[in-house]
Amino acid sequence: MYKSIMSLHNRIAVLRAERKLSRATLALSVGVNPQTIGFLERGDYTPSLELAFKIAEHFGLPVEAVFSPRPFRALSEQVYEAHKREA
Amino acid sequence: MASNEKRSWFWKNIGFWFVPARSEKLGPEEWAKVLKRSQPAKRRMRRLLALLWVPVLAFEIAVSLRVVRLDPWAGLMSAAMLTMVMGLAVRALRIGFAQVSLEDRAEMEHGEEFEALKEKQRGEIFQRAVRDGLFGRVKVDEREAEQRLRAQGAAYRLLGPALVVFVAGYWGVCLFGPFEATRSALAVTAVVVTWLVALVLAAPTMIRMWTQPDEPGETAPVPE
Repeated sequence: MYKSIMSLHNRIAVLRAERKLSRATLALSVGVNPQTIGFLERGDYTPSLELAFKIAEHFGLPVEAVFSPRPFRALSEQVYEAHKREA
Repeated sequence: MASNEKRSWFWKNIGFWFVPARSEKLGPEEWAKVLKRSQPAKRRMRRLLALLWVPVLAFEIAVSLRVVRLDPWAGLMSAAMLTMVMGLAVRALRIGFAQVSLEDRAEMEHGEEFEALKEKQRGEIFQRAVRDGLFGRVKVDEREAEQRLRAQGAAYRLLGPALVVFVAGYWGVCLFGPFEATRSALAVTAVVVTWLVALVLAAPTMIRMWTQPDEPGETAPVPE
């Protein structure tokens, strides 16, 4: 059976929590079933390019900020480093 | 919220299922049951059901074979009925996979949790869910479509070798079985079965040959 070789990591759950968005609201906005958002968050489903762009657009972020072929570093860690660089 | 503690066992366990469709009042206990049952089945349960399907199918075939010996037309009717029942069950399962849960519906339609909704709103959501389930009005989004496609592909890959084995077995029975009087007639059916199986197995490639677009055909670099 065909299996996707590359698994895509995403920050949907973090972004949803940050913006206090429910699965259902996000699903309604990007035109999928709420369970699809759940599967995406768990990494059980790799979205189409179209859906990935729709989700990124919903959060107002570039697609690479939401999806990545490599695991994301923790947001808090990245923010702290950015602050340190600024200082 | 209505208190239904004094209701009968039948009402509490069976009757209440029909109540939301009539927009009557349910107690928290009944709504909790409705919510619990509306959750999708766990993988373990789904696998158990998938395994259970094999003996059910075997039973159906056994019933049809028994009836067809008594009367061919009755056998046809029996097979058609059983196939229809199984078809409806498979359709219900397919709808169930794409069905949005009551909690998600509440969030999408009212922006609130199901339990926080008013009795009337819950009733309406439940009615809509039942109607959508019955009439198959579910949203087949890209994930659902892909899952279906993958399942069909997997089924086809299983079907391929199974059909080849079946044809080989069929020819074996036709050629070596104790059917001297009808051997040539049986061989004709074996040829037809072989042809049908070849058709089924070649169909995906043929469809691809028919539908695949032409390649752009630009092999040289674009001139400046």
